[in-house]
Amino acid sequence: MKDINLVVEICGSAGEGTISAGEILSRFMSGQGFEIMSFDSYPAEIRGFGKCVAHTRISTNPIYSPGKYADVLISLNDRHSISQLSVLKSDGILIYDNQPPKAHKEDQSVVGWATPGMISYGIPLNMLANKAAGNARGMNMVALGALAALFHVDKDAFTGSIRNRYAKKKQIVVDSNVNSFLQGYEWTKTNVNKTDLISFDSVSPQVQGEKLITNGNQLVARAALDAKLSFYAGYPITPATKIMEILSKELPKHGGTLLQTEDEIAAIGAVIGAGFGGKRAMTATSGPGFALMTEFTGLSMMAEVPAVIINSQRGGPSTGIPTKTEQSDFNAALFSGTGDCPRVVLAPTDTSSCYQAMVTALYIAEKYQTLVVLLLDFFLSNSIKNIDVPDKPSQEQIYANIAPNKEQLKDYKRYKDTKNGISPRAIPGTPGGMFFSTGLEHSEYGRPDYTDANHLKMTKKRYRKFESILCEAPKLEISAMDSESVDIGVVSWGSSAGAAHEAVMIARKEGMNAASFSSMMVSPFPEDELIAFTDRCKQILIPELNFSGQFAGFAAGIIKRPVERLNFITGRPMAAEDILQKMREM
Amino acid sequence: MPSNDHYVIIGNGPAGNHAASVLRNKDKDAKITIISDECTPYYYKPKLTGFIQGKISARELMVNGPDDYTNGYYKNIRIRLGQTIERIDPDFNAVFLNHMEKIQYTGLIIASGGQARVLPSMIPYAEHLSFIASYSDVMDIKDRIDKAEEFFIFGGDLVGFKFLRMLNAMGKKTSVLIYPNAFWPYNLTDDMLEKIIKSLSGLTSDIIVKDDIKKIEKNESGFRVFTQKGVVKTTDLIFSFNGMAPNIDFAVGCGLDTDHGILVDEYLKTNIDNIYACGSCAQVYNPSIKSYCVSIGWPNAMVQGEVCALNLLGEKKVVESVGRKYFDLEGVRIKTTWWDDINDDSLRM
Amino acid sequence: MEQIGSEYLDDKLATVKEIDFLQYRSGDLPTWCPGCGYFGIVDAFYKACRELELKHEDIVAVSGIGCSGRTPIFINSYGFHTLHGRSIPVASGLKLAREDLNVFAVAGDGDALGIGGGHLPHVARKNINITFLLFDNSIYGLTKGQSSSTTPHEQKTNSHPAGNPDKPLNPIKLALSYDASFVARGYAGDPQGLKEIIKAGTLHKGFSFIQILTPCVTFDKEYRTWKNLKENVYDLNLSVKEKNMETAMRAAENEPFGIGIFFQDTNRPHYQDILRRLNAAD
Repeated sequence: MKDINLVVEICGSAGEGTISAGEILSRFMSGQGFEIMSFDSYPAEIRGFGKCVAHTRISTNPIYSPGKYADVLISLNDRHSISQLSVLKSDGILIYDNQPPKAHKEDQSVVGWATPGMISYGIPLNMLANKAAGNARGMNMVALGALAALFHVDKDAFTGSIRNRYAKKKQIVVDSNVNSFLQGYEWTKTNVNKTDLISFDSVSPQVQGEKLITNGNQLVARAALDAKLSFYAGYPITPATKIMEILSKELPKHGGTLLQTEDEIAAIGAVIGAGFGGKRAMTATSGPGFALMTEFTGLSMMAEVPAVIINSQRGGPSTGIPTKTEQSDFNAALFSGTGDCPRVVLAPTDTSSCYQAMVTALYIAEKYQTLVVLLLDFFLSNSIKNIDVPDKPSQEQIYANIAPNKEQLKDYKRYKDTKNGISPRAIPGTPGGMFFSTGLEHSEYGRPDYTDANHLKMTKKRYRKFESILCEAPKLEISAMDSESVDIGVVSWGSSAGAAHEAVMIARKEGMNAASFSSMMVSPFPEDELIAFTDRCKQILIPELNFSGQFAGFAAGIIKRPVERLNFITGRPMAAEDILQKMREM
Repeated sequence: MPSNDHYVIIGNGPAGNHAASVLRNKDKDAKITIISDECTPYYYKPKLTGFIQGKISARELMVNGPDDYTNGYYKNIRIRLGQTIERIDPDFNAVFLNHMEKIQYTGLIIASGGQARVLPSMIPYAEHLSFIASYSDVMDIKDRIDKAEEFFIFGGDLVGFKFLRMLNAMGKKTSVLIYPNAFWPYNLTDDMLEKIIKSLSGLTSDIIVKDDIKKIEKNESGFRVFTQKGVVKTTDLIFSFNGMAPNIDFAVGCGLDTDHGILVDEYLKTNIDNIYACGSCAQVYNPSIKSYCVSIGWPNAMVQGEVCALNLLGEKKVVESVGRKYFDLEGVRIKTTWWDDINDDSLRM
Repeated sequence: MEQIGSEYLDDKLATVKEIDFLQYRSGDLPTWCPGCGYFGIVDAFYKACRELELKHEDIVAVSGIGCSGRTPIFINSYGFHTLHGRSIPVASGLKLAREDLNVFAVAGDGDALGIGGGHLPHVARKNINITFLLFDNSIYGLTKGQSSSTTPHEQKTNSHPAGNPDKPLNPIKLALSYDASFVARGYAGDPQGLKEIIKAGTLHKGFSFIQILTPCVTFDKEYRTWKNLKENVYDLNLSVKEKNMETAMRAAENEPFGIGIFFQDTNRPHYQDILRRLNAAD
C-alpha cells in the first residue's frame, strides 16, 4: 500500500472561505480513512481582512504533530500568501489564481515569489468561481476541485462531502459550492500538465471504526458532560472561551447550570461554591484569568473543596499574545499561590488524551477533594484531529466522593487525619454532617487551630493525598525504550510530546539511538519513572514552548543531571523537525 | 550611487544565467530577475538522457543549487520559475506574465532558448509525440519509457541518436525514420546520411530513410505509424527529434523584429534599444555574410549571454563564436555555429 | 456604650435558655469583642431560622474575611469561610448548583463593598436567589480600625488619623441602583425587627440585600456607636405599596438611619427560573 503524508495549507483573507475549505478537506479526508490533524490560524481582530491559514496534515499513518512545512499551498489571496511561502517546502506545490480580476503590480503575485524547485499550478480560481455561481465566493471550492484533480482524489466522494457540509443550507448554496468544485476539477483535468508525483491513486487507508473529528476544547467539553459535570462558571478569554460556549448549550440539557461571571475570581469562587455543594464543577481560562484565580486555588486546597481549572495557555506573560500557542504557564500551574500548596496538574499530550485528562481531572478533584489544573494550550484547544471515539468514563470515575458513614457522622471530623489523607466528605443537606470549612489552618473538626503541632499534622495530611494521587496517573508515554541504553532521551510534556515522539521515530529510522518520555500528570510527577528512564539515557533533551525552560528546570531538579533544552516562543506548535535538528546537533 | 535599474532576463539556460551573473558582477545594486516558463532550476540539457537512464541524479542534472541565488555566485538574483511571459510591451518597458503580473524593466535580455521543433506535417499528430527537449518532457515520459517495449523515432538529431543508443542499451526494440532536415537549420547530404545509417546499423535493425510519416493511429496499447511509402509500424511510443526551434512566441507582434528567432545585430541588440537577445532564440546578423544565423550549444550561449550583458551596460562588444564549433553526429561532423564561415565545405567529412 | 451592649447580652442570655432557637447556635464560643453588635445579628438569624423551621443541614452560611467572616462558625449548619470579598461568588455557585439549600452570604462593609464590591452589581442584576447579610460597622475591625467603604467622611481612623478623605458609599442606594430585587436595612440593636427582615429576605425568591447597621465597639468610639445608633435609628415603616423604586431611592438618600424593607419586587423571576425558561425555549 502506498503511503500518503501530506501537509496542505490554504491561505486567504478572513471571509474568503479559507477556514471552511480547510474544514471540508479535513472532514473529507477523514471520511476516506486518513488520519488528519489541522491547525488554523486567523487574525486576532474580528473585523477586517486579516490573513487566515487553514493547515491540514493528511496521512495514512498516525499523526503526532501538525508538521512544520507545507507540501501544498493553496493561495486564495496573493497578498497574504506571499509570506506563507516561507513555510512551503522547497519542492512544494503552489496552487494560485492565474487570472485574477485585476492585474498584480510587480512583486504582488504569490507565484512571482515561488522559489526554484517549487511547482506552481495556475488555476483561474476567480474566473471559474464566477462561471459556476456568478460570484467569486466559490474560489475556495474551485481550489479544492483543482487539488482533487491534481492528486487524483475521488471526485464523487469529495462532492458528497461538500454536500454534507452545506446540508443545512439552501439548495442554491449547495449547488454553487459543488459547481465551483467541479469547475475547478474539470478545468484542471483538462488544462494542467501535472509535474508533481503526489497521487491518491491506489492509496487505500484502512478505515478503522468510527472517527470523531474534534479539537481539545470540544473534547474537554464532551468529556466533562460524560463525566457528569453539573456546574460551569467562566469568563470569556481566548483560547478557552469555546469551552464555555459549548457547555452553555449542552450543560442545561444535561441538567447542569452555566454561569457567566463578572470576572475570573467570581468564576472560580462559584466553582468552589458548587464544589462545596457536592457538585462537579469547573471553569476554563487562560493565563491572565488563571492569575486572578490564584487566591482561590489556595482555598480549594486548604478547605479541601474539589475544583477543576482548565488553563488553555497562550503567549504570555500578562496579556501576552492571545492567539498564539505557548507552554509558559507550567510554573504558574504548579507553583502559583502562597504557602505549601500542592495541587494536581494534568497536561494532555495530544487531542485525544484531552478526553481522558478531563475525566481524570473531575474524578481526582472529587475523590481527593483538591484542586486540579488541566493545562491545555492554544494549539491543543484549537487543532483538529480525527480520533477514535473515546470510551465513556466508568461509574467509579463518575461517582468518586468518599462520604462519611453513620459511624463517622456520630462525631464527624470533616478533616479527619486518615492514612491516605482523604477525609470522608459530607455534602450539605446530609443530616448530622454539618461542618465548617475555612481557609484558616484548622483542626480535624474544621475549627481554626493555629498550634504548630496541628499545622504540621494537617499540612502532612494534605500532602499525603498526593502520594495516592500519583497512582491515578494515566499511563506514561514512553516510546522506543527497547535497548539497554540510548544516546538521546527526549523528555517532553503537554502538546510538545507529539512532536517529540515523532522526532524520535524519525531519528531511529535515521539510525540514531533515541527514546522519548512524557507524562500527562505533571503534578504530582512520576519522579521514579523519570529517573529510571533518564538513567538509561546518555543525553537528555527537553523541548518546550517557553523561553526559560520551565519544565526542563523542574525535571533537572528531579533527575539531578544537566539537560539539553530546546525552547521556542514563536507562537507555533512544537515541530518534530526542530527537535530532530537539535538531536542531530547533539 | 545605488542604481534603480531592473534587468529582466527571460530564460533560465546558460545564456540567461551567464548574462545574469555578468550583470551582477558589474552592477551590485541593480535588481536582476530571471524568468522562465520551466519549473526546473538551471539544468544541463545535454545530460537529460543520462538522467532518464538514471546515470545521474536530479541534483547532478542541476547547474545551480537553490542556495546559489541567495548566497553564491548568483547572489541576489530573483528567479521566477514556471512563469510564462504573456507579452512584452516595449513602449512601457514592461513584461506581462500570464498570471497577470506586470514587471517593469530598464533593460531586457531575451534568452528563452529553443523548444522541440514540431514539423508542420506533424501538427495534427502532435499529441501523440514525445520529446526529450526539456526536464518536464522527461518527467512526463520517464515512467512510460521504462514500461514501453517498442519505440518509433523519427527525425534524428544529436539528442535523438543519443537516445537511440540509450534505448539499445536498455534492450528496447526501436525503429528509426531519419529526416534529412532534422538538423534544422542545416540539411544532411546523402553522403552524410549514408555514414549515419552505417553508424547506427548496430543499434537498430529498422532504419527508414527518404520516407515520411503519412498518419499516426492511436490504439489501446500504443500507436500504428503509416509512412508515405506504405510501411506500417506498431509501437508503444513515438519520439520526435527534429532539432530545436527558437522559443519566441511571446515576443512576436510586440514590435520586435523576428524571423525564426529574434533578430539581433552583431552586438546582440534587437531593433529596440534596451532589449537584447542571445543564445539559441536569437538570430544574429553576420556582417560578413550579410545574413542572420542561429548559434547553438552551451559555450555559444554563455558567450552570447556575456556579450548581451556587457552591451546592455553600455559596452560595444561584437559577438564571436567560441568553444566547440562542431559536434560529432554518429561520425559526421556538424557545425555548432554558422557564424564564422557558412560555406566551409571542407569541414564536412 | 459598651454597657449598653452588655446589658443587652445579659438580657438575652436570660431569655434564650427558655426558647429553643439556640439549637441554631453552634457549640463554639464567639470570638467577637464583648458588646459587639454581631451578637445581635446572629441572634436575629437564629430566630429567623427557627421561625422558618429551616433544617440545619439545608442551611449554608458562606462568609468572607473579617469579623463577620467568623459568623458561620457560630451557626449550627454547614458553613464556609471563604476569601476576603468573595462570599457572594461562592454562595452564588453553591446556590446555582444546589437549589435545595438555603444559602446565606455574609460580609462586612470592607468585605462586601471594598475588596468584593465588584460582585454586588452582578449578583443583583442576575437576581441569584441568596440572602446577603451586610454587617456594616463602617470600619475594618479585624485589622484594627482602618477606614472602610462606609466610614464617614473626615472620621479619624487608624489609617487616616487626620480624618477619612473619602466619602462613604451608600449601600442601600447602590443595591437599588444595581437592581437588587429585595433591599432592606436592619439594626443589630433591634433583633426582632432584623429577624423579620431576614425572614422576609430568606423567603424572597431572588437576591435579598440586607444592610445591617451595627457598631464596632472597639474601634469606633465616635460615630457608629450603640449610643448614636440607639438615638438615631428608627423604623421607616414603609408599606408594601410604597416599596417602589422612587420612594426607596428617596428614602435611601435621605434616611441614613431608617430601617425596614426599602424595596421588593416579588414578580421578578430569580436567576434559575430565568435560565430554565430560556433554555426551555431554546
